[in-house]
Amino acid sequence: MKKQLGLVFFPAFDWAISPTHPERQERLLYTRDQIVEEGLLDLPQIQEYKPRLAEYADVNRVHIGVPAISPLITEAHLVSAGGAITAVEAVMKQEVKRAFALVRPPGHHAMRMVHGTRGFCTINIEAIMVEYLRKNYGIRRVAIVDTDVHHGDGTQDIFYHDPDTLFISFHQDGRTLYPGTGFMEEMGSPNAFCTTLNIPLPPGTGDEGLHAVLDGLILPALADFKPEVIINSAGQDNHYSDPLANMAITAQGYAKLAEQLKADIAVLEGGYSIEQALPYVNVGIVLAMAGLSYAEVVEPDIQRCPGQSAATTAYIQEMIQKWQGIWRARHDLSRQAKLAAGDFWHRNRSIYYDDSGIYDDQRERVRMCPHCVGYHIIESQAEHPGQGLVSAFAAILPRFACPQCRKDGQDAVHAAKRQGRYQHYFLQDKEQDFLEKL
Amino acid sequence: MLLGIDVGGTFTDAVVVDDNQVIRHAKTPTTHGSLLACITQAVDQSLIGLKSSEITRVALSTTIVTNAIVEGQLAKVGLLVIPGPGMKIENLLPVPPAILSGYTDHRGRKVAGIAEHEIRAAFDCLKDCDAFAISGKFANRNPGQELEAAASLRQQAGHRHISLGSQITGSLNFWRRTNSAYYNAAVWSCFQEFANAVEAALRQRCIHAPVYILKADGGTMPLSVARTIPVEAIFTGPAASVFGVMTLACPAVPSVSLDIGGTTTDIALWQQGLPLFAGQGIAIAGYPTSIRSLRLRSVGIGGDSLVRWENNHLKIGPQRLGPAMALGGEYPTVSDAFIAAGLVNFGDRKRAEQAMAQIGGASLSFAETANFIIDQAATQIVQAINALISEWTAEPVYCVADLVNTSAFKPELVIGVGGAARGLVPAVAQKMGIACRLPAGGAVVNAIGAAVARPTMEVTVRADTAIGEYTVAECGVKAAVPRLRFEMPDVQQLGKQYLLERAAQAGIAVEATELLQQEEFHLVRGFRTIGKIMTCQLQVKPGVLTTISGFSGEGWQ
Ligand SMILES: [Zn+2]
Ligand SMILES: [Zn+2]
Repeated sequence: MKKQLGLVFFPAFDWAISPTHPERQERLLYTRDQIVEEGLLDLPQIQEYKPRLAEYADVNRVHIGVPAISPLITEAHLVSAGGAITAVEAVMKQEVKRAFALVRPPGHHAMRMVHGTRGFCTINIEAIMVEYLRKNYGIRRVAIVDTDVHHGDGTQDIFYHDPDTLFISFHQDGRTLYPGTGFMEEMGSPNAFCTTLNIPLPPGTGDEGLHAVLDGLILPALADFKPEVIINSAGQDNHYSDPLANMAITAQGYAKLAEQLKADIAVLEGGYSIEQALPYVNVGIVLAMAGLSYAEVVEPDIQRCPGQSAATTAYIQEMIQKWQGIWRARHDLSRQAKLAAGDFWHRNRSIYYDDSGIYDDQRERVRMCPHCVGYHIIESQAEHPGQGLVSAFAAILPRFACPQCRKDGQDAVHAAKRQGRYQHYFLQDKEQDFLEKL
Repeated sequence: MLLGIDVGGTFTDAVVVDDNQVIRHAKTPTTHGSLLACITQAVDQSLIGLKSSEITRVALSTTIVTNAIVEGQLAKVGLLVIPGPGMKIENLLPVPPAILSGYTDHRGRKVAGIAEHEIRAAFDCLKDCDAFAISGKFANRNPGQELEAAASLRQQAGHRHISLGSQITGSLNFWRRTNSAYYNAAVWSCFQEFANAVEAALRQRCIHAPVYILKADGGTMPLSVARTIPVEAIFTGPAASVFGVMTLACPAVPSVSLDIGGTTTDIALWQQGLPLFAGQGIAIAGYPTSIRSLRLRSVGIGGDSLVRWENNHLKIGPQRLGPAMALGGEYPTVSDAFIAAGLVNFGDRKRAEQAMAQIGGASLSFAETANFIIDQAATQIVQAINALISEWTAEPVYCVADLVNTSAFKPELVIGVGGAARGLVPAVAQKMGIACRLPAGGAVVNAIGAAVARPTMEVTVRADTAIGEYTVAECGVKAAVPRLRFEMPDVQQLGKQYLLERAAQAGIAVEATELLQQEEFHLVRGFRTIGKIMTCQLQVKPGVLTTISGFSGEGWQ
């Protein structure tokens, strides 16, 4: 009989970014203590899985590592990405109804092009899982709901031009928190317009605000988008005790979210209140996903949780209404965006790698093709500390690319190589499933 | 001289081991009404011609606890739990518990106190219980609240037994500790009676040697310890067999051992001369416990397994419909195939051949049919061996190094014991492409295992230098860390002291100790290291007191 929940638990007790970094050996220690002590792994509703190792091919399906992905990552990254894949496999093979990859290191700040580590993330484990799912199970429409307190800018970047992936992120407002993005205006490039939804919440948002957003916006958007698979990037740093953020969500708030979202697969992201929050939030999520009562999962210091202010409640209500208006008008807005873009949509960005000290000046172009979602060019000039400038040019051919876009994308990267203004040249062919370094 | 007794489902065996030799062995039918009868009979038979005063140790593998549970002869237990926040546990326990407030967190810090009046109220509802069990979440990290609750309950419960979860194991898993404490209390008085009777019977026979009871993990415990943790004496039969294999065959290479009896084959895996232990405690009546056992798998194939065709497939076992046709049975069995193939020499060969004719018809010779049956049976056993190995390999690990640096377990030897080993083990080994061994003495392997199994015991030390305290749950100890610089080697040293002390108190002579597991974490708060959490679990190393190289006496195969 199919079990309710597959749990891929991998606390990576021997891996840290550095000894006192929030991503250190100790991070999931108390979560392990609580999960094992409760006896969750022995419940008949739950099956624990050992993660597999992801292969480089799984990573290269998503990322373009400069100069290559292998020198940028450790085995731990392959285990956490592999853990996400193990979770999705357990669901797709119908061994379990849902799965939770409670793994580290996290991934949602890792973008398509990778020069180093940013926001504790080097490779994007949900994105790797999604592309694995598409490659091996023929799934097309996927929704990712990022419930970490930080904007999931990496996941947004990877799927920004993909109309088949609905990316929803609520987070503490980028004006008050890393990475400083995730505003409502970031809605996806014109061919994927309104498949990126950002819900920046004011500091101090509590369970009430979170559930207003879930009921008023996230669940209706999911119902309209009709994804085949729903993924939850289950960061836990919205908790009232998290040292890196200023929100007021409780274990009950998170567990109820998990219960109502009904994600097929949840993947742990951030969460750094390792003693006061993570043990309880994770037990709550595990119980909710397994269809069991989480009513008694209450933090011992719950009285420290501040209430949500009336001003915050009003602000959130207003934003929900504004979003509902945009969502209703999204088809018209999409047409307008395409008209405004002309032949190519483009943007320039500066991307900071806080863990590696790298500044990347990135220029992107996407062909506004009437027949397909268009090929995509990334030109990157990254200043590495001690190494100087590392530059790269990449052409990305999307799934279902039209013949013209396939040819134009290939020509673009070959032409760039002939001109020789960059150090590294890549062709990522999502249709043929390879990453080539030219 | 070592006296070993194994109470099995059908027979009770006793052996006397002296100086690497089995010098006596006796077999009597198990008397289910009163186990003492068959035990004393086996002892008396095995001691004929010996001086009972020369017996230096008595060790028993008994079904007393298993039977009490299987037959529902359990005492009425009042269960009190201190669950704190978390999963709702009340519907997951063998009896509805009384829930007490109070909470100890994952660091062993008391977060909320227990309330006396709740314990009094709980007792009012549980007055007529024969025994009590108390279990608190994270009591293994700090047994304080369990001990407090027990002291309070003691005032009303009088002399009635109280089991505590933290005294059964220092490992995490509140659910398992609670179930274990419940079953421990439930079999407590039944075991005391049995222990009293055994002691009296031995005294009568002028045997004054210390008595040991086998545990499910193949270690033994002094009777005094068994009296406090009788639940550990559950499901000891397979463990007795495995430790018998250890003394008879001393597997030095990675091995598989098979105990092939009448209807089942028990499989164990061996590495570095020791059997593998199970990753989790055993389940009792479907309730997971923290009782440690060996990593075993049972498959429903044995000498008496019924052989028949079903939907054009040859089926073997798991049912038994009487003995082999060659031994007067009515239906073809695996043993008939052994006899027809000439692998063993007992029973009526003509009848075995008739059995083969029933299965193989006219087109196959007796030998061809017999080999076909043996091949089928061996295939099923090999599948079960592979499943056991995969199950072990699939067990989660929590470190990158453990996940990446794995080497596949490749057995190099199959060891067979039990009545039907001779007929099947060579076929299994051949299929696996490795060698096999059939040590002599396999017919009383369980009693031999009990006779020679070393006593074991464990302790778990957990030090939290940020709090400045350490606990040893099994000893009910919580104390200040002894000095400023307190590192992992100090924790190990401390653990060893407690283990040796605990062993000495129980009268266990310790040959060697070993580290079961250890963990060390730096506690960092605000980018500053403020201490360490160090845990180490040590045990008296399991093993056998002597190897057995021969026997004297009759009927030895
Ligand atoms: Zn985060
Ligand atoms: Zn196109």
